[in-house]
Amino acid sequence: MIIPQTPLMVVLLVVLAPLFGALLCGIDRRITARAQGRIGPPILQAVYDTIKLLRKEPMLLNRVQIVYAYLHLAFMILAMLLLVFGQDSLMFLFVFAFSTLSLVLGGMCVRSPYSRIGSQREIMLMVAYEPILILLMIGFYLVNGHSFMLSAPMTAAKPMLLSLPLLFIGFLVVLAIKMQKSPFDIATSHHAHQEIVKGLTIEYSGPYLAILEIAHFYEMALLFFFIVLFWSSPAWVGIILASLSFFLMTVVDNAFARLTSMWIFKFMWTGALILAVTNVLWLYWASK
Amino acid sequence: MTDVPKFNKSPWVVHFNCNSCNGCDIEFLACLTPLYDLERFGILHVGNPKHADVLVVTGSVNHRNARVLKNVYDQIPEPKVVVAMGVCASTGGIFADGYNVLGGVDKVIPVDVFVPGCPARPEAMIDGVLKGAQILEAKHSGKTPLAEKNVLTRTPTPVATPVAQEKGAPHA
Amino acid sequence: MQIQEALIALLVLGPLVFGLLMLTGVKGVLRNALVAVAGVTTIAAGVALPFYSGVIVPDVGLPTLITTLGNWIEPMVILTVLAIGFSIRSWPVRIMALIQLGLCVIGLLMSRHEPLEETKLVVDSLAMIMVLIVSVIGSLIALYAIGYMNGHEHHAPATAASNNRFFFVLISFLGLMNGLVLVDNMKWLSIFWEGTTLCSFFLIGHDGTAEAKASARRAITINVFGGLAMSVGVFLAAHSVGSESLSVLMSKGPVVLLPIALLAIATMTKSAQMPFQSWLLGAMVAPTPVSALLHSSTMVKAGSYLILRMSPGLEGTPLAAVVAIAGAFTFALTSALAIGQSNGKKVLAYSTIANLGLISCCAAIGTPLAYAAGITILIFHAISKALLFLCVGTIEQSIGSRDIEDMGGLLFKMPLTTNIAIVGMISMMMPPFGMLIGKWMAIESAVHFPVVLILLVLGSALTIFFWAKWLGRITTTSYHEKYTIESISPWMRTVLAVIGIGVVVASICALPIYEQVIRPVSLLTFSEQASNINISILDSVSAFLGWPMIIVIGAIIMALATGALLFKPSRLRLPYLCGENVDSDETTYTFRSIADAPSTAMLTSYYLPLFGESRITTWANPLAALIILSLFGVLFI
Repeated sequence: MIIPQTPLMVVLLVVLAPLFGALLCGIDRRITARAQGRIGPPILQAVYDTIKLLRKEPMLLNRVQIVYAYLHLAFMILAMLLLVFGQDSLMFLFVFAFSTLSLVLGGMCVRSPYSRIGSQREIMLMVAYEPILILLMIGFYLVNGHSFMLSAPMTAAKPMLLSLPLLFIGFLVVLAIKMQKSPFDIATSHHAHQEIVKGLTIEYSGPYLAILEIAHFYEMALLFFFIVLFWSSPAWVGIILASLSFFLMTVVDNAFARLTSMWIFKFMWTGALILAVTNVLWLYWASK
Repeated sequence: MTDVPKFNKSPWVVHFNCNSCNGCDIEFLACLTPLYDLERFGILHVGNPKHADVLVVTGSVNHRNARVLKNVYDQIPEPKVVVAMGVCASTGGIFADGYNVLGGVDKVIPVDVFVPGCPARPEAMIDGVLKGAQILEAKHSGKTPLAEKNVLTRTPTPVATPVAQEKGAPHA
Repeated sequence: MQIQEALIALLVLGPLVFGLLMLTGVKGVLRNALVAVAGVTTIAAGVALPFYSGVIVPDVGLPTLITTLGNWIEPMVILTVLAIGFSIRSWPVRIMALIQLGLCVIGLLMSRHEPLEETKLVVDSLAMIMVLIVSVIGSLIALYAIGYMNGHEHHAPATAASNNRFFFVLISFLGLMNGLVLVDNMKWLSIFWEGTTLCSFFLIGHDGTAEAKASARRAITINVFGGLAMSVGVFLAAHSVGSESLSVLMSKGPVVLLPIALLAIATMTKSAQMPFQSWLLGAMVAPTPVSALLHSSTMVKAGSYLILRMSPGLEGTPLAAVVAIAGAFTFALTSALAIGQSNGKKVLAYSTIANLGLISCCAAIGTPLAYAAGITILIFHAISKALLFLCVGTIEQSIGSRDIEDMGGLLFKMPLTTNIAIVGMISMMMPPFGMLIGKWMAIESAVHFPVVLILLVLGSALTIFFWAKWLGRITTTSYHEKYTIESISPWMRTVLAVIGIGVVVASICALPIYEQVIRPVSLLTFSEQASNINISILDSVSAFLGWPMIIVIGAIIMALATGALLFKPSRLRLPYLCGENVDSDETTYTFRSIADAPSTAMLTSYYLPLFGESRITTWANPLAALIILSLFGVLFI
């Protein structure tokens, strides 16, 4: 599974990835509704919402907000391209992290208490999951004959999942955080909206909120593609794996209550980190 | 109908309880339950006026909350509609003659849809929100005059003058 | 050759001469002019040096006179330290100085009958990079100090020493530092080393308050300890290798581990690695230019510079692993410590220590990639951190606080300084600019050392936390129709603008800098490893900096442009406060509470007591000391 690095491909990815992400969100909402005995919104609801938001009046608190919103989107697209084209894994992570960081800063730069609380919580989450992601890349490096390029897991004969089972579990937790799913949706909650009234996105409205939504769709597509990496040959197994993981997230989301940010931090830096470190250490041991 | 999805495909609702007895609020929350399932129309219940299209108000307006209602209304981006839910929100209802009551929501902000009932039934409420959503599209395309533009420098409507104080009410 | 020698003389002796002129008691405009001339000549000489020395000049061929001179200057410097030990009544300093003096005398007596070695000056690429940092950034900070100290004079405590003494020390420091960088003879190295310690002592104690005195005392105690380690190391090296040349010592490598271990400890004290970090934190009481010059961008880099120089010698020795773990440990722990701080200068100090730890970790790993990472961090950290310190100093002078929580709304109150500070912070954490490239290469090069790697991974996750908090706080603002540029001294404003532009240019030119400077240096230093697979990663750095760099720069420009163009005041609204806003744009945390009384929401960032100073240092310092002690343990393996 190698994706050619052509301008056409870039255009295709930039256009299709958010649609795919939106579709994933729509399916997620539909499944949730069905699980609760409801009919649920149309599959394309996320697209309708975004188009509506784009047509609304822009409202702002200051200039800086706009800059951060665009940076969030731009870095998310760049992260996706780096991933799909199999570039350096750590640089991909840094770009991905900076994208989230722009979102956080966008939430922090306004004089709004709810927004700031949401941002603070998002930083906590970032610090909580970032080590797991870096260790995951180290895992890729060790398995793939010492190459940091993401193209290595794409072409690997043996599926990554078999070498990195514990890191995959760690990654699933990160996935729940990135998808804003319970029990990890403390920064911007999809369900009990009123808790911190949508956290760090609260002061974004209309088209600027749409930008954040679109960036989130890219993020969904990126995460989906990332799971495929765990079983890239044949790719259809990876796609099934990714679909199952997303389904699992929906189930978990509906089955769990929310945690506090400090709890998440401690959980990630103990439980999840121990899983990840164990996996990495055993790879070191195996390679010797 | 053009191909562009209309506002009526995803009206996001913010709910404001002015002075309600909670009857309408309970009924409105019932709309979210599997029996009525607001979400199948793309309606989302958001907690923040800045993300909303439709302002659903329950209860009559009094001197204290008129300012708050106005603020919340101002923070909804255009196009926006207001749905007065229940008879109190529409006219003041049985509280209309209260010494502290101004009357219906339309005394403070322009109302687009009135949903009568005490409380209004969930079906009527969903219908009201969807009626409002149709108006959103019309407002956006400029067929009905937009609500007056609000800018930051605007001073709040001077409705908050406490009438109660003039009457020497004990709590003043 | 003539020009080269003149330039070096200008770089080393020039600042000393200008510094001495300060002591004549010049005042006002004349003093400003003198400082300015000193700064500009040093910058010019520093910039000119690379053009006149080619790639490598191993020997500028100075006569043995210099070596003889060194033999006499060294005891004088040590006597000065001893005198300070008596004046501050510190037994540790007195004892350490006496030991050093003893070693010095013994050394002189023993070498009496040996022919004197020529003192070499090494002007290789690493030295030139360091000279550029010292002379350009150092001089710019000296220029900034002109404006700053004029303001400082007004609200400095009465106990403060005179500004003339301040400038004497500050400017002489540049010469000492250049000397330290260029000299290959270890006797001269330790003279310059002690010299910078003395500068640091005088400058930290400048204000003369009880706090300043205590900090200065701590600084000199710890640094003299490092100096002692160096003296012993030099002494042992001279008598086991038979030469005082650093390059000779390093080429002997594994044979002479003890002197190398001692030198490594000296570098750790100078670059304030755990457990020696306390002196650098105390040093933050000094006036801002001092913090910026000595304690972030140049003097503490002396330690990093020396360990980078030692990198080829460390490679393959059992010491390397210990130094690498010590560096990584410092990186992780001080990053954690920075989270718990709301004092801006302390956050910067901890972040500095963390980056210095990263450099010494890279130097100890000793692969071409790690070495390149070390140099990258050395360069970009010096520029960005100097800028940030100067910004915090300017902010502190204006708002009277260095607390991060007080920095909300600064974008409106001090738009120029704040924007420059934002540039500095962004350059510390935005991919794919300098600092992040360095960190990236560091993690990739540490991948074969699991312990080091995990410490680096945890540390780099933690660094996000404090930068995000601070950047979020400093960009917080409500909308204002008009921004008035704050009135700060033109010296300060110019220097801030110049370094700010420098940071932007350096960030954008990260690829050429990497290609033209860092990569060749690294390959040259580790030429025997040139066929190693690590080289391929060096190439992938270049590959990355191609199209993604263009996208990133394009995105930033687009974002800034949309921010400027799409913004209309009519789109402004008050923040959401449940509709209870008090209608005023300055006090948007204020809402109407019971009986319509305005009430203000209080909101601070997370400072996580888990990462409190006392909580971490109580166990981390002894642990770090154990790691360093194990330097001696591995000698016996």
